[in-house]
Amino acid sequence: MSIEVSNLTKKYGDFYALDDVNVSLPTGQLTALLGPSGGGKSTLLRIIAGLDTADHGNVSIEGVDATKLPPQKRNVGFVFQHYAVFKHMTVAKNVAFGLEIRKTPKAEVKRRVGELLELVHLSQFADRMPSQLSGGQRQRMALARALAVEPTVLLLDEPFGALDAKVRKELRDWLRRLHDEVHVTTVFVTHDQEEAMEVADEIVVINQGRVEQVGSPDQLYDEPANDFVMGFLGEVTRLGPVRLRPHDVEVAVTPGHAGAFPGTVTRALRVGFEVRLQVELDPEFGSSDPVSVVLSRSHARSLDIELGSKVWLTAAIGAVTVPAMVAV
Amino acid sequence: MTLTPGSSLALGISLIWFSLLVLIPLTAVVVSASDRGWSGYIDTITNPQTMAAVRLTVGQSALVTLVNIVMGTVIAWVLVRDRFFGKRILDVIIDIPFALPTIVAGLVLLGLYGPNSPLDLHWAYTRNAVTLALAFVTLPFIVRTVQPVLEELDHDVEEAAASLGATRLTIFRRVILPSLVPAITAGAALSFARAIAEYGSLVLLSGNKPFSTEVVSVRVLTHIENGSQASAAAVASLMLAVALFVIVLLDIIQRRVSARA
Repeated sequence: MSIEVSNLTKKYGDFYALDDVNVSLPTGQLTALLGPSGGGKSTLLRIIAGLDTADHGNVSIEGVDATKLPPQKRNVGFVFQHYAVFKHMTVAKNVAFGLEIRKTPKAEVKRRVGELLELVHLSQFADRMPSQLSGGQRQRMALARALAVEPTVLLLDEPFGALDAKVRKELRDWLRRLHDEVHVTTVFVTHDQEEAMEVADEIVVINQGRVEQVGSPDQLYDEPANDFVMGFLGEVTRLGPVRLRPHDVEVAVTPGHAGAFPGTVTRALRVGFEVRLQVELDPEFGSSDPVSVVLSRSHARSLDIELGSKVWLTAAIGAVTVPAMVAV
Repeated sequence: MTLTPGSSLALGISLIWFSLLVLIPLTAVVVSASDRGWSGYIDTITNPQTMAAVRLTVGQSALVTLVNIVMGTVIAWVLVRDRFFGKRILDVIIDIPFALPTIVAGLVLLGLYGPNSPLDLHWAYTRNAVTLALAFVTLPFIVRTVQPVLEELDHDVEEAAASLGATRLTIFRRVILPSLVPAITAGAALSFARAIAEYGSLVLLSGNKPFSTEVVSVRVLTHIENGSQASAAAVASLMLAVALFVIVLLDIIQRRVSARA
């Protein structure tokens, strides 16, 4: 295990940013810390880097107890949401910073910087100032700068958070490919479940200062440990006593199945290849919120469903369900 | 270059205002300096007493500006980065030397360092008095130019440098200081300009002794009192040249430092 976090607690006044967190992050993998804003994931990352200190607990990196080490001695690469570029230095100088501090010979610095700029596709921008780069380019430069010192772990704090949707998606794919090339243990913080699912080998879901679940994207999606994880990783709807994904609701136009919930289609929305329905259950089945259902367009057409259709809903066989929390 | 009607109007107004206030009076000084011809001009400015006054003024102003570069940056740092009792008050008090009429500043300093000094420091009417008075009136300039820049500095950047292995000293030298250089040079230019122009606080404190504590502005006044407008203008034009030279020099230094980092 590359990073071992045990019994970590961090309080700001009465607020628990981290509450007795235990987690192990495997070597050479790309791990996402996923959770809502203010859930403690950035605090955890900053404590691993030594930029914040915990009230209790330990952090060890590659078997070395790092709890009391200053950030300078942890050999951790850190990438910030807002790039944290050295504005007065050229791109090449930014990348060289860590090497120059380590008194690396000039020729060696030049060679390494050349390699790294190649790696992040910024070779032709070596002599530019950071202000002449786009957001995405700045973040790639920041990544090259962090990688220059050959860190044991690379930590990224919402690295794509300040970028627009299109660039974000590009950089996401690019980070995945980069990791496959460089293999440095990487941990990144995100509140975007799609980003985590697409990029990470492993996801740690953090909420209200606690680890809710750790697992591969598939595990989390297929076997959510609780209501929160299920809700955070994708759309959820409630059908009688259970919560499930809208695409796991089976729709019938005749009351064939035992235990089916009868209702009426109150909204039908076509988005691309799928059809989204809102079904109001008959009053004796209680649920105040309408049930969301997603089905393919051809399926909807074959059932001849339209606004006002009478339908019967069941959970599909093999659907992932969790017991619905009692409505307050 | 194309200008919209609005911006050409603004440019026109700016130029007229600047000309009325600055360019025309400056030209008038240069013109009246030439009243007594080239040789008269050279005579006036190479007069030993004038030369001594110029040396004193420029030397002391440069010295005080150097002191301010260090102390002003330190004070700005303390005001922005540290928390201590009375910080708010200090932050307000910094401006007092700037807000005070300079003659009052002279009076205050005379009370403290004059013949009846409660500190038993008899600096009045010596060169120390000139240094002291100039340091007093120029104190706020660098503090006030550096302070906002320091406040705006991104904390992330220092954390990034730390995680790359930089010690606190290295972070200051290679990351923070280069960001402050433009503000420091701007403050230094203001501080130097104010120092060579200072009159009010010195007139009481320095004693205006020729060849010893007489500064250029006092020398200019002497010429005017003697009815020699042309000599006064000649000395004034020399100081104009000095001020221009220093401002350009500081600008070049700033460009060099920014480019090198």
